[in-house]
Amino acid sequence: MKTLRERDIERLLGDDPVGPNPGTPSATEPPADLAQRIKAEIPEDLGWIDTENSADTETPAVAPVVPMARPWKQRRWLVAASLFTVLGGSFFAWRLAQTPELTPQMSVPAAATFESSAERRLESAGEMRATRPDSSIQPATPTQAATAQAATAQDAPEPQPLKALGYVAYLDEALAGSETAGSEAAETKAQSPADPSTSTDFRAWTADTGHITPPAPPPLPTLRERLDASTDSKPAPPRVQARTAASPPPPPPSPAPRRKLAPPPEPLPRSKPLPPGRRAPLAEARAIDPPARRLAASPEPVAQGTQGILDSMASTGGTAEPNDAPFGDVFFESAGVNPFIDTEDDRLSTFGLDVDAASYGVARRYLNDGHLPPPAAIRVEEFVNAFDYGDTPPEDADFALHAEGAPSIYAPGERYHMLRFSIRGRDIDAADRAPALLTFVVDVSGSMAQDNRLGMVKQALGLLTDQLRDDDRVALVIYGSQGRVVLEPTGDLQAIRRAIDGLVSGGSTHAEEGLKLAYALAAEHRKPGMINRIILCSDGVANVGHTSADSIHEQIRHHAARGIELTTVGFGMGNYNDVLMETLARIGNGRYAYVDSLDEAHRIFVEDLTGTLQTLAAEARAQVEFNPEVVSRYRLLGYENRDIADHRFRDDTVDAGEIGAGHAVTVLYEVKLHDKPRKRDVLATLNLRYASIAQGEMVEQQRKVTGADLVRNFDKASKALRASVLVAEFAEILKRTHWAKDGDLDDVFRRAQKLSADFADDAMNRDMAEFVHLVGRAAAVSKR
Amino acid sequence: MAEPAPGSQSSETTHPPRDVDELLDAVARGDRRAAEHLVDQTYPQVFAAQMRFTGGNTDLAADLTQDTYRKAWKSLANFDRRSRFSTWLYRIAYNTFLNHIRRPARLQPLDDHSSAVEDPRPGQEEWLERREVQERLRRAVIGLPEDLRFTVAARFWGEVPVEEIARHEDVTGAAIRKRLKKAMRMIQDALGEDAA
Repeated sequence: MKTLRERDIERLLGDDPVGPNPGTPSATEPPADLAQRIKAEIPEDLGWIDTENSADTETPAVAPVVPMARPWKQRRWLVAASLFTVLGGSFFAWRLAQTPELTPQMSVPAAATFESSAERRLESAGEMRATRPDSSIQPATPTQAATAQAATAQDAPEPQPLKALGYVAYLDEALAGSETAGSEAAETKAQSPADPSTSTDFRAWTADTGHITPPAPPPLPTLRERLDASTDSKPAPPRVQARTAASPPPPPPSPAPRRKLAPPPEPLPRSKPLPPGRRAPLAEARAIDPPARRLAASPEPVAQGTQGILDSMASTGGTAEPNDAPFGDVFFESAGVNPFIDTEDDRLSTFGLDVDAASYGVARRYLNDGHLPPPAAIRVEEFVNAFDYGDTPPEDADFALHAEGAPSIYAPGERYHMLRFSIRGRDIDAADRAPALLTFVVDVSGSMAQDNRLGMVKQALGLLTDQLRDDDRVALVIYGSQGRVVLEPTGDLQAIRRAIDGLVSGGSTHAEEGLKLAYALAAEHRKPGMINRIILCSDGVANVGHTSADSIHEQIRHHAARGIELTTVGFGMGNYNDVLMETLARIGNGRYAYVDSLDEAHRIFVEDLTGTLQTLAAEARAQVEFNPEVVSRYRLLGYENRDIADHRFRDDTVDAGEIGAGHAVTVLYEVKLHDKPRKRDVLATLNLRYASIAQGEMVEQQRKVTGADLVRNFDKASKALRASVLVAEFAEILKRTHWAKDGDLDDVFRRAQKLSADFADDAMNRDMAEFVHLVGRAAAVSKR
Repeated sequence: MAEPAPGSQSSETTHPPRDVDELLDAVARGDRRAAEHLVDQTYPQVFAAQMRFTGGNTDLAADLTQDTYRKAWKSLANFDRRSRFSTWLYRIAYNTFLNHIRRPARLQPLDDHSSAVEDPRPGQEEWLERREVQERLRRAVIGLPEDLRFTVAARFWGEVPVEEIARHEDVTGAAIRKRLKKAMRMIQDALGEDAA
């Protein structure tokens, strides 16, 4: 054949295909019966939108919405499962009604039955999304940032889809949906026909395309109704609006009764409010037996029997009891839970780093107030990163990378290991950090008057002011109904203190104006070589201005690209908007902290002020490459809303995380090994990529984990690994993830207690003691 | 949510010609006839794509077209409408084909049918040559790395505009053009090796 030029190739490619025989130039005429054959296969249960919610249908759908087609064989299975669940649940409910003297512990399993089935359905919903054919496509469309370095490209609240399974693997497994994993996925899916939560989920999914908005199915109370109802004394569904954002995982194998043996993926619901259906049965179960619940209202000692802790957590719904003072109108958003991923499908795990610890602070607030935090409020990585595990700082580089592994205590069999990577930033002395221009933006709206939030802000900022150096400058902007510059940038500490002390609250909340003013001020006074940071202190309620957040986001992104960073500090709990605060910090290239006590304020603004102010690395992201020869599957704990598509690891326009001086990021993986690795076998390679502030360019660092980094016994592992694993387990139990569904708070408590002895003469002593205390609280609260 | 078609009580009754978006909305509500319309509007292209992929094997192409829709129904709820429906469907068709050839047992029929020439007629020589070139090209395209392969298939066989592929792949148009250029060089190399 003669050589073809590129242009010839293009032309030939575009040619009509040659027919099967000479004289039949084009053979693209489909067979006559093809259309009929295709149409015959249109599934019966085609629709996935609850027609009741669309304005243009009159008759409410009687049948529950079925999101997708599924073979009826599998449906038979799911009908049986649902029947079983319902009957079992009814039985327990009936039993409870019959015997009011039943102890609350006994009432737990009933609720658990309901809950766990709901949970499973949610999981399956997550899995279902995982099978979307274009999972390797990013929903968030990147915008080109003006500067290469500080650019933020991702619409932050838009969830990245989880791991891109390469199309190839994808085909064979998920999309092909034929005999392999696809059908397994379908099988799991099949569990969820009659569950409104699932369909809500899917409606919400579609809602992202702007086609459907109202998420709650009509037969269930609307959010407003639920809120109203909860002011009555009768047991009511939780007031938390847990919103969930999607990150579709690829589907690992189907459900297994035993934990982690062959676990299905976690729920990754994207629905706006927590699907009401998920709670409704619980509310019913509870309504039957209020006396029993009241009996349980007194706190119980921690080290009790461990049976059913999770279940009872389910029954408390992760929020306040109706008779306690609950936090109304709090907004959390779950980004789902990472699934196990086969290294055959995708050996790369890529995500932005996150040093925030706000989620732990929020949970602490809930627990100290005697409530379990809502699962959506838990971000596992923010729990893990709330601790300084004492990793050694680097000598010359920006970061020291550590890696180690040990057999998992939470998964059966010796092939499961926990891997811990630590990315420890260089320490910078307070005297060596760059001078800072700090613009405090303080929310002085009416809501800040509640439980002394503004008082706390004043104290916190006072602590910070005490740490300032002569060359630092502070400006103060407040917003209530309107924004106002209270203090132009000044180094006069007296003036700063006076301005802070003089703050009073009142009016509505015009956060956008406050931020706008602050950015204008910060931009005007910006100086090269000076840290330029806005510190927003608020309860996150933004009720005037473009609360739709998009316009705020745009401005924040704009300024972040020009080096003005935004740190958000959350105060208060009722009316608290975790989602807004987290999002603002993420796109503002800053850190999100939650101040639940003066202790925490001290931690952020005094002990860690340099880290809070001085960024070491911007747009830091990690990519862990697993060696499929050694590791068969892996699961990243946390970082769900920081996911980055594998192929964009070196795309520096992708927004990633900022790491402050002296900060450490811990990354945990649960991995399953093929075999016992030899010492020299490489399990995985951590690649870290970031914009180095010191070197002014993108830098990469690497660390391999080999068989030599593994210890044979979990108890022989470093205390850093043991502590981080316990903290992660605690977070996962609170988050009620599938992976921790057999988790036992009492066990975590005992282990933590034992472990805390190892930290006795350690800087982490206090934090560990607090951790033990919180696990104990959680165990006690969950037994109510 | 799109409005119902004017004059129709529900989406079940009448079907004035509607655009794909409206049909999708109706399908989302469970409207079977909308789904049939969607099939009518799209299956010739899907079939044509499968003909391209399979190198003109009509039976196989029809089977794969059927498969494509089977998968499309399952995933339709997840279609985010960022790219066009046709592009999305094209991707499924393409995946279906790739999935097919990845099964070792089925490699055979695809490879040996091309030589099956029955009923030779005048002009056969030219036809044979064209056919051979196309077959080589087809194999060269299938032999490309995944991202290039899809890009080439979509651009030249599916006649999907560059910008539309870019939207679907979530990269820039420039990146797609780069891919195409690279792919052309690789195809050229592959054909050169063939010739050698």
